Amino acid sequence: MIQPQTHLNVADNSGARELMCIRVIGASNRRYAHIGDVIVAVIKEAVPNTPLERSEVIRAVIVRTCKELKRDNGMIIRYDDNAAVVIDQEGNPKGTRIFGAIARELRQLNFTKIVSLAPEVL
Amino acid sequence: MIPSSTLLSLAGAFAPVSFSGEMGHPQTNSSSKPRKVFTSFCKKALPLQRHSINSLNLKRRNSLLSFAFGKEANDNSFSDVGEDTDDMYDELLSNYGQVVYKRKDQKPASAEIDDDSESLSFAVELATVASEVKAGDIKVLFVKPLVYWTRFFIIATAFSRPQIDAIGSRIRDRAEKKYGKIPNGDLKPNSWTLLDFGDVVVHLFLPPQRAFYNLEEFYGNATSVELPFENQPPFRNEGAYGFSDDAES
Repeated sequence: MIQPQTHLNVADNSGARELMCIRVIGASNRRYAHIGDVIVAVIKEAVPNTPLERSEVIRAVIVRTCKELKRDNGMIIRYDDNAAVVIDQEGNPKGTRIFGAIARELRQLNFTKIVSLAPEVL
Repeated sequence: MIPSSTLLSLAGAFAPVSFSGEMGHPQTNSSSKPRKVFTSFCKKALPLQRHSINSLNLKRRNSLLSFAFGKEANDNSFSDVGEDTDDMYDELLSNYGQVVYKRKDQKPASAEIDDDSESLSFAVELATVASEVKAGDIKVLFVKPLVYWTRFFIIATAFSRPQIDAIGSRIRDRAEKKYGKIPNGDLKPNSWTLLDFGDVVVHLFLPPQRAFYNLEEFYGNATSVELPFENQPPFRNEGAYGFSDDAES
């Protein structure tokens, strides 16, 4: 359950380290974002000397949430952190590698590029 | 962020399983030992453990709840539960023996190989289509041993967005006409256009993006499939040889 003002880790090597959600993309008054949703976020912390800088506004896809993700078969997945992957307007990831495990739901939501860069798909 | 710090827990249909980030050491909490750990956390962590409790059977849940809220809870209730489950396991063991049974809905190995060869021919066909539209540096990788979610990757370079569009639409047409498959993925030409056919995933890159994402290196352990059109000499070289022959004669 990601809402505006939520801080998220960055799960790629784009150069950002921490994001803050400022808008959930979807319906006009959408409250929460879950795994696979796109948010507008601002970079709160960045690695020095990388293309992305602090206080830059970017788009990101949520890949991990502390809130449980339920599947139809009864499986429940809950991660330790909230994490997102920085993408551009076309949906291509800004980083070249993804860190940590991600859920297979991203593939159904047309983020196969992120899935194909990830080391582990649950 | 370090990948190994990512902890997640999965609650399956039968027993809660917790994984560390590396997924190397799954621990199944089904024996009596974790239950003792549970006793110390029971009051505090009950809301957090709700899902794992839900997945256990009703009888055990009742006893757990009574233990959690009853002040005079003692080890007797737990030993009862332990005996119940032990009896259950004993019964199962006596009925079926200590043998691991296969699930009946699993495919035989031959069907799996058939599926593999079917998607191989599909992948080679798509790669041929891409080479007809002059995509560069086409590679077909057999990634099934590395990732579970697909079988083949086709990686190709196109030199402009119109060419990406041409390759993408050709591949879509051929797949739909000949195999009846419709891809997910990008509809508009993109600097990294991806067509997801399920078993086969096609990546079309512009040259800078191909170098940037470097998928071949990431899937370096995948075996590369030989393509029928690779052995033929490229069009331009033939012309060059012709010229040199003429010059010599």
